[in-house]
Amino acid sequence: MLKNLKLALLKAIDLTALGFLEPYVRLAYGEEPEKQLRKIGQFTLIPLLVILAGLAVWGVLISPMIKTKSGELPSPGVVASAAGSLHQFSVREGNKEKAYVATGEDRSAWLADVEAELEAIGPEVEAADKAVQSARADEAESKSERIAPLQARVDELKDTMKAERAAKQTALKEHAAELPAGDNPQRAAYLGELAGLEKWVELQEAEIDKIEDRIKLIRDEKDAAVMAALAQQTAAAEREQYLKKMAEQLGEDSREARVADGQAKLDDAKAKFFSAEGAAAYNAARKVISAEERLAKTEESTYAKPATLYFQIQRSILCVFSGFFIGSAIAIPIGVLCGLSSTFMGAMTPFIALFKPVSPIVWLPIALIVASALIPDPDKHWLTQWMWELPLIGQYKINPAFLASAVTVALCSLWATMVNTALGVASVDKDHLNVAKVLRLGFWSRLFKIVLPSSLPLVFAGLRISLGVGWMVLIAAELLSSSEGIGKFVWDQFNNGASDSFAKMMVVVFIVGAIGLLLDRIMVVFQRLVSFEGSIAAV
Amino acid sequence: MAFLELHNVSKGYGPPSHRYEVLRDVNLTIEENEFVAVIGFSGSGKSTLVSLLAGLEQPDAGEVRMKGKVVTEPGPQRGIMFQNYSLLPWLSVYQNIEIAVKQVFPEMKKPQRREYIQQYIDMVTLTNSEWKLPAELSGGMRQRLSLARTLAMKPEVLILDEPLSALDALTRAVLQDEIIRIWEEDKRTVVMITNDVDEAALMADRIVPLTPGPSATLERAFPVTLDRPRDRTTLNFNPDFKKLRNAVSTFMMDLNEEAKSLRVETTYKLPDLEPADLSKIG
Repeated sequence: MLKNLKLALLKAIDLTALGFLEPYVRLAYGEEPEKQLRKIGQFTLIPLLVILAGLAVWGVLISPMIKTKSGELPSPGVVASAAGSLHQFSVREGNKEKAYVATGEDRSAWLADVEAELEAIGPEVEAADKAVQSARADEAESKSERIAPLQARVDELKDTMKAERAAKQTALKEHAAELPAGDNPQRAAYLGELAGLEKWVELQEAEIDKIEDRIKLIRDEKDAAVMAALAQQTAAAEREQYLKKMAEQLGEDSREARVADGQAKLDDAKAKFFSAEGAAAYNAARKVISAEERLAKTEESTYAKPATLYFQIQRSILCVFSGFFIGSAIAIPIGVLCGLSSTFMGAMTPFIALFKPVSPIVWLPIALIVASALIPDPDKHWLTQWMWELPLIGQYKINPAFLASAVTVALCSLWATMVNTALGVASVDKDHLNVAKVLRLGFWSRLFKIVLPSSLPLVFAGLRISLGVGWMVLIAAELLSSSEGIGKFVWDQFNNGASDSFAKMMVVVFIVGAIGLLLDRIMVVFQRLVSFEGSIAAV
Repeated sequence: MAFLELHNVSKGYGPPSHRYEVLRDVNLTIEENEFVAVIGFSGSGKSTLVSLLAGLEQPDAGEVRMKGKVVTEPGPQRGIMFQNYSLLPWLSVYQNIEIAVKQVFPEMKKPQRREYIQQYIDMVTLTNSEWKLPAELSGGMRQRLSLARTLAMKPEVLILDEPLSALDALTRAVLQDEIIRIWEEDKRTVVMITNDVDEAALMADRIVPLTPGPSATLERAFPVTLDRPRDRTTLNFNPDFKKLRNAVSTFMMDLNEEAKSLRVETTYKLPDLEPADLSKIG
């Protein structure tokens, strides 16, 4: 039993190409502990050390070196806290969404909790405000202490310079009266003296400027204590705001309260209608209808949640798979035809050669124009309406920008699959084809029983490359098309320019990398599942 | 009338300007239920002969006939067992046989088919390996699977293309016995290509040597008159067996000599050059 588990684990590790886990399994079963420990050191500890070293280089060396208008390149710590705040934002938005639709006991209990928290946060916010004030005061004090001697020196330099300049000028003016007429050495010497004076003034001013620059630098310095206090203040203020909004969502703005309100209005309108007489009855009836309509809308309403990063990640993944499936649906049949018929391959080669190198940046605007022309108004078009009603993917609101991004992904990623499929189909083992001949398999049997199974490893190798390319293309496509997703998140942060935008963009770097890695692993598993002994495509 | 017949068959490869003729004017007549071994040196065109018999390739001249009809395409009635197994590596043992059975006996019902396939798996003693992939089998097991797949098609002629050449001596002996056992149980016409005189003498009714290529042809045949069943342990002391083996071997060696003497040796006249001694110049 335990041995079977071990074999299953080792097989799973091999299938997913996560070889570094193997020594742990073997160690757990007490198999050659020394050898396993050495392997753990080699394939786990050393990579971990390298990662830590990388983080250290980033935080200590690179970050302080790169200074921009938006601040330093964020250090690992800053990026981690940005990731935390992104997570917090989505958790809070999720809560607001749930709060809006909460009903009955749940709602009142939750509301009581939120109000208690809101009360507790009051002093916290005040304390944070005070902390900022005192930190600012401290900063001002320490800065003015450092600036004072410099300023004194500047004032002194200015005074002495002015006094000396005035004295020298007076002397020169007096000297001018005594100069003999005509071109003579005395006059030349006089010119020299005047130039010397101006040079001296310039030097003095440069000296003063230098000190003033230092003063400015000190004034501009960002004080760590102030920054920390400000961050705490922002966090407290955000929390307070969130709690206030929650209290509203759970209180008078909750759906339940609004439905009750609508119901009351409807009842009122009905009562008026029943008692109205003559022409007034018509108007009263209309009010009943409109109150009914409003109530129905309120009953179905949900919280208008802004796009959180998690939503954007999910939408990006949906988009990349849409594009990937569109691309594969085109690439595999064409690839198979290319592999089967050299004539077809010859006919397709010019197209493949011509379109393969085209950049996503070119495809996207074209795709966007076409998609927008086909679906001018997503709120009314049958296709988007139908997709919005679908379970699971309906919530992602597929729109022309999404479709254009998906098509761009498809157009850029299908080539690897197409070429690999053609190669796989064309290079089926001759012996296997002979088997098909001896058995007199028909075209379709031969295709599905011999040719396709034999070329699947290469097809999947192509699909794996395609998905990787597609993921890279997608981020650029979303950025350009403003399709809600990771690419758009980066673009929004770039345009936003808040103090933590830079760090949030760095968070995306790691998210994109991690998802790309995950997609690749998934494809590796598929590729291994369809591979057989002697198949060309090794992982 | 002959059951399977090669009539003045020639086959070559390459463009007409410098065509390489592998077989020239090959004549062979095989009777029903006869076990014929075609023996030849490597490169003498044995595999081409197999392809022609199976119908995978068409002769340039002459005809391949089966029961008087010209063979124009491959088919399951001439079951061929390929030299390198030709198993489909993504299918299990069972599925490899199933694909053939489904195609040859489409009318067979599912339970009946399962029984039929199992019968062949048992016949080549692959029982309990039904769901293994070819990659998980040893060389001998693969060869047996290949044999089972071929036999399951119930071919009228069994064409074995060096079926045992890739195996070690022990496995080879076991499989030789197995093939003979199956053949004796269920008499069928067999053409076996081999490069082993002992193997041919042990198994066949008739040994036909193929002259060394290029332009190979079938020479005189050696009938094997040894009684069946033949026991490999005592066979080595049987004077008839020794005589036959000697006769075939000598004939083959002579053929080789002949081929060597026939081969035109091209000699190139080399220019009379001597390296210059640069140390003495200047």
